[in-house]
Amino acid sequence: MSDKGLIKRIAYNVPANDFKAAGKSSSSIKSNLKAIGIDARILRKIAIISYEAEINIVIHSYGGNLYCDLYEDKIVIVSEDKGPGIPDIEKAMTEGFSTASESVRELGFGAGMGLPNMKRYSDEFEIESSENGTVIKITILI
Amino acid sequence: MNFTIMFDKEKCIGCTNCMKKCPTQAIRLKDGKASIDNNICIHCGECIKICPYEAYSSESVESHKDKNYKFKIAIPSTTLYGQFPKGTEICRVHNAIFKLGFDYVYDESWASELVSVAIKKRIEGNIHIRPFISTNCPSIVRLIKIRYPSLIEHLISLEAPMEIAARLAKTKVKELFNLEDKDIGIFYISPCPAKMLSVSDPLGKKPSLIDWVIPLSTIFSDLYKDVKKDNGMCASNPSLKGIKWSYSGGQSEAANLINYIAVNGMDNIIDIFDEIENGRLFDIDFVEALTCVDGCVGGTFNIVNPYIARNTLKYIEYNTNPDLLFNDDLEKFNDFYKEGVLDCIISPDEAYGQKVNMKEAVQKIERIEEILSALPGLDCGSCGAPNCLALAEDIYNNEAEIYDCVVLKAKLNENKN
Repeated sequence: MSDKGLIKRIAYNVPANDFKAAGKSSSSIKSNLKAIGIDARILRKIAIISYEAEINIVIHSYGGNLYCDLYEDKIVIVSEDKGPGIPDIEKAMTEGFSTASESVRELGFGAGMGLPNMKRYSDEFEIESSENGTVIKITILI
Repeated sequence: MNFTIMFDKEKCIGCTNCMKKCPTQAIRLKDGKASIDNNICIHCGECIKICPYEAYSSESVESHKDKNYKFKIAIPSTTLYGQFPKGTEICRVHNAIFKLGFDYVYDESWASELVSVAIKKRIEGNIHIRPFISTNCPSIVRLIKIRYPSLIEHLISLEAPMEIAARLAKTKVKELFNLEDKDIGIFYISPCPAKMLSVSDPLGKKPSLIDWVIPLSTIFSDLYKDVKKDNGMCASNPSLKGIKWSYSGGQSEAANLINYIAVNGMDNIIDIFDEIENGRLFDIDFVEALTCVDGCVGGTFNIVNPYIARNTLKYIEYNTNPDLLFNDDLEKFNDFYKEGVLDCIISPDEAYGQKVNMKEAVQKIERIEEILSALPGLDCGSCGAPNCLALAEDIYNNEAEIYDCVVLKAKLNENKN
C-alpha cells in the first residue's frame, strides 16, 4: 500500500463479538472529522462506511483493526481483520445477502447491506479476502 | 425584541451544574461565574431548569402590557390546558385570556392539526429520505445545525404550528373585524425559551409573524384565579388532534403514523441522531425529537409536572365531543400545502462545506491531543470547562491556560514547596 501523502493515521482495535462496544471506533472517527471541519455530506458518507466496517469486524471476524487515513485530498478507511475471510465476495456484495446468525439479526444487525452500502458511498472500493483475513480499503475524495 | 437567556451574576456561585448539563458545551466558568456563548446556545433551557440558585431566567424585562396594538391576538401553546386542574374546560381558559386584555384567541391546536396532515403527506410523498426529523422543537433544529449538519436534509422542513397559527389568526381577524396589519399584535403564550428565540431569530428564511412572546409562567396566576371564578357562558373550540402536540409522541399520533420514534431528553436524542448519522434507522419514517422531558409539557415555563399535564390533556381528549369542534381553516389545507405556506426551509450555516487544509487541521487535533494527555482526565469541571477535552480545546484557542486545571495547579504548588 502506498502511503504517499499520508498526513495522519488514526488507528482503532476492534474486538470480535463485543456488541456493547460496537460503534465506538466509528463514533470516534466521526468526532475527529467534525473537529477537523470536514464537509457535512462527506462526513455522512464516512460515518456510514466506518460504522458498517466496524460492525462487520464485530459480527463476522475474529477481531481486527480499523484505520482512518487522512490525506490532503482524500480520506481512506481501512478495515483489516484476522479472518475467517469471505468465501464468495461477489455474493457478499449483493444487497440483502447476509451470513449473520439469527441471534445477531435479532440485535438489529446483519441486514446484508454492509458491503453494498460501503461501496455505494465510496469513491474507490477495494476488497481482498482469504481465510487469513479480509482487507477493505475505501477511499472518499474531499 | 431579542430573547436571550438572562443571567444574574449575583446569584451565580460557580457550582458547575449548568456547565455540565449544557448539551452544546456553550457554558464556561470565568472568574467563578457562568458565561454562555450565545453563538452555540440552542436555548433548550436546561441551565434554567438545573440551576439551584435561580441565576438563569428567560423572562423579558418588558411586559406584554406595555405593547400597544389596536387589536391583540393571543395564541396559547396547547400545553397551557394541561396546567389547570383536571376537568377545567378550555373555554374557561380562553375567557381568562380575554380578561388579560386580549381581543381574540386563536387556538394553536388547529395549526398543529394542519401540520400533522402535512407531515403525513410529506412522508408519503418522499420515499428517499428516511427518517424524517420533526422541525417543531427549535432547540432540536438548532442542535442539528450546530452538531449534526449532515442531518439537515432529514428535517421535514415544516413550519412550527405557532407560526401557522399566527398567519391564520391574522387573516381571520382582518376579515372579521376589517383591520389592517399594523393594527394587529400577535402574542404567543410560550412553554419554553426556545420558542421565544425562534421569534426573534427564526430558523427558516421567513420572518416570524409573532410580535411578542409571553412566558406561560408569568401570567399563570392571573389566569388561574379567573378560571376558578369563571362561571359564565362558555364555548370552546380546540382541535383534539392538535392538543396531542403537547406531549412526546403526539405529533406522530396526530399524523396517524405508526412507524415512528418519539424521543425526548438530550442524551437519548444525541444517541438517536448518532444512529441516523451512521446510516441506521433508514427503515423508520419519522423521528419526533423533543428536548424537554415528555415533550413541550416539560418546557421550563410550565407549572405542573409534565406527566400530570399529559394526563390532564388526555382527559380533555377523551371527554370532549369532537363533533362540536370545527375550524374552517382545515379546509384550506390543499391550497396551503401547494402554495408552500406550511414550509420552513432550513439551510446549513455558511461555515460548513468549506475546503479544509488537512495538514493544518491535523496539526490542530494533534496539539489538542497533546494538551489533553497532560490533563488528569477527571472531567471534574473545576477549571471552568465542562471536561478535560473542552479545556484542551480552550487552551488551544488561547481562551484558557493549562494551570486553570486545579489538579495540575496543586501539583505545581506542591513542587514549589
